[in-house]
Order: sequence, then C-alpha cells, then structure tokens
Amino acid sequence: MATDMSKNTIRVLDPTAPQSIATDGMADRPESLAGKRIGLLTNDKLNAANLLDAVYDVLAERFEVASAHRVNKGDASRPAEPDFLSDFSQEVDVALLANGD
Amino acid sequence: MTSSTRLTSDSLELPGALEAIETYFENGWSDGLPVVPPTPEAVSAMLEGAKLAPDAILGIEPVKGAVITAEKAAINAVMAGCKPEYMPVVVAAVEAIMQPEFNLHGITVSTMGAAIMLIVNGPITEEIEINSGVSAFGPGHRSNATIGRAVRLIVQNVVGTNSNDGLDKATLGHPGKYTWCVAENEAVLPWEPLHETRGIAAGESAVTVVSGLSGTQFGEHEASTPEGILDAFAQRLYPMGPGVKQVILVICPEHAAHFTEAGWQKEQVGKYLYENARKPASEWIAMGLPSGAQKDNNAKLDPDNGDELISVLDSPESAIPIVVGGAGGAWSAVIPPWSLGSRSKIVTRIIDSKE
Repeated sequence: MATDMSKNTIRVLDPTAPQSIATDGMADRPESLAGKRIGLLTNDKLNAANLLDAVYDVLAERFEVASAHRVNKGDASRPAEPDFLSDFSQEVDVALLANGD
Repeated sequence: MTSSTRLTSDSLELPGALEAIETYFENGWSDGLPVVPPTPEAVSAMLEGAKLAPDAILGIEPVKGAVITAEKAAINAVMAGCKPEYMPVVVAAVEAIMQPEFNLHGITVSTMGAAIMLIVNGPITEEIEINSGVSAFGPGHRSNATIGRAVRLIVQNVVGTNSNDGLDKATLGHPGKYTWCVAENEAVLPWEPLHETRGIAAGESAVTVVSGLSGTQFGEHEASTPEGILDAFAQRLYPMGPGVKQVILVICPEHAAHFTEAGWQKEQVGKYLYENARKPASEWIAMGLPSGAQKDNNAKLDPDNGDELISVLDSPESAIPIVVGGAGGAWSAVIPPWSLGSRSKIVTRIIDSKE
C-alpha cells in the first residue's frame, strides 16, 4: 500500500535533555599582575606545561609577578577534583590553564 | 504503561514524517542519517519493551551531570530504528557507559576518537537476532545496527556530546560512532562466553561496553595451533607498546576451532601472550614506545637494563578474547580500548528483560 507520509500531520518528541551542571564565565581580569601569584594548571598533556612555562616567562618579563605555582590535574580526560581546585584557588591570585595536545 | 500521557518531553507538531526527518536534521538531532520520527505512541511502545516508566533514571553522566531518563533513551531508540524488544539491551548499555570507570566523557571528547562497541551475550542475542556470524561487524542486521545507533544518539542528544557544536573533538573520528554492536558467537566458543568470564551467571544475557579504537584485522591461514595463532596476534599488539592494560582479541571461528581442538581454556590465552609476547626494553625504546597516550600504561623501561624482557600486556588478564564472525576465513582482529585500557575500563551489565 503506497502511503504519502508527507501528508500526515504528526507529533514528535524532543530527544535532547538540559544539562544540569552550569558553567561559569571567565573570572574578572585583575588591574595589574604586579605582586600576583600566578597559577599554571596543566591538564597532563605533553605540551601543556611547555606552553604555560612559555607564557609565564613572558608575564614574568613584563610584570613584577610574585611567583609561579605549577600544578597538574593529573588526568586530561577527567575534570579536576573539587578539593584540588579549592586548594589551588587559595594558593594563587591568577590562574592560567592549558590543554597541550 | 500503555498511555503516552506521562511523557514530559517537549513536542513538535509537524506536517508529516518527511518534514520531521528534515527538522531533526536541522536541529542537529540526527547522526547524519535520517531518523525514525519519535511519536509519543512509538516512544511509549519502546518504554513498554523494557517495562520502564518514562521518569526512570538509567544513569547520570558523572562529568556533565546529564540525567538519562528512560523516556529520553526511548525517544532516541525510536529514532535509531529499534524495535521495542531491543530496548532492554539499550537500557543495559546506557547503564554500563554511565559507570565512572568507563569514562564516557573522556572517550567521547578525546581527540583519540573512540567509539562505543557493544558485545552482547546470552539468550537475548538469538531472541532479537543480533548477528554474531558472517560479517558481524558489517551492515544488514537491524538489531546490530539500531541498538548501537541508539546508544550513540543518546550520547549525542542526551549527554550532549556531538561533533557539530558539541564536545566531540576526535581528530579522525570513527565509523563505529554511527553504530557498533555485535553478539559473541557462542555456538563455536572453545570456552565460556564473555559475560560469564566477567561475573554474570550462565543463562543470563548481558552487554559489555568497550571504548573501541580502530581495530586491526589480520589473516593467519597457516598456523593451526593456539600458540601459532597467538604469535600472530602478538605481532598486531606490539605497535600498541608495552603494558597494554586491556585489549579485545577478536578470534574468528576458524581460529577458535584450533583452540577447541587443543583443549585450551580462555585464561591460557592471556597467560601465553603475557609470557611470550615480549621484547627487550632496549627494543621497545628503539621503537619509540610507549609514546603519547601509551605512556599512561605502567610499563617501566629501564635503559640501563635493556635486555629485560617486557611484555606487551600489563597482565594475563589484559587480554580479553571474544569469538565473533563467520565460519569461512582465518581473519581475526585486535581492538584496543581508548587509552589502551588505562583510563577507560570495559564494563559488563546484565540485561533485565523483566519477563
């Protein structure tokens, strides 16, 4: 039996679901990096630390930053643990992240 | 649950099925192929296939927090072309990929580009005719094609990981992301089926999920002993580098027959490979292995002890043999999981048909 499907009106359902984890935007930019503790957070990829170090060298040359704090979240395929991020946020004033694939 | 009144998803009223298909393309809800329009009636029938209420929660994706309800899974199963009797397999597969050790987020967003491979065991494979024989990884079988597709559509649409504007950043991608579902060929097994090895009782049905990278098929038409066949497997394992934590060995029936003739048990496969598939540390280092993601494995290579023989496997249990394929041809394959099993573990889940 030939049926012209395009002539039938149908109701269909949305296959998607809202995501329940909200994402935050970028942090406010500091007015100056002078005296700031710079956090360098790598995702454990081979080139991430290299990239962060190169960026830090430029920052250290241009601004009187206080220090560098290098940390590695340890697994590029999983988010950093909340405790890890909480500790990191206490140790630094500014954080740079890199995904060094 | 025969009424569609309890369904809570937003709906669209469209002039017809063809318009619905086009709308799902436009909305980014398809995988690039036409989908079956998920009407409330079809979705209710799909839920009935697994005896699930629409608001039953199949799992929560650990990273993004996406809640996978039975209703959303059923919508995507309809879209994929599943029959309602396939739904228990889809449900078990979704439960399996939500386990933290599978690392769904990692395997789907990674540039490495793994696809979710489903291996189904038990009586349900015959009941719904999941192909385990000739061209088992190929097209032409509705249950294989649509169950695998349903799982991928759920990941894309409910978890929110797609390759258009989503988080799937695979460099090359993988054709198995359209669909990848087989049954083990239990009729010709030399040993117990995969799900029993993984702790499921005999007589039950189960699905095992693997974050499969591209497989390597090879022919070994001369060897007629388990040792000879496994030596051929070893040649395909070496490029993965030392210390592989998990790898699927797809043994074709012609090769499997030699294991049966020799009276081998499954655990002998991993034991043989672990003990014999070895290279001196200096040779691994000269090969540039492990490299990149392979460094995730535990293999310790000491340049000062270059003669030490290091196995390609992390342990005898790292080899996971399955028997799949048609009777003719001595073609087997190796399929490594994403990260070679170091950051994504295969997971097995019982299939509850609720009969």
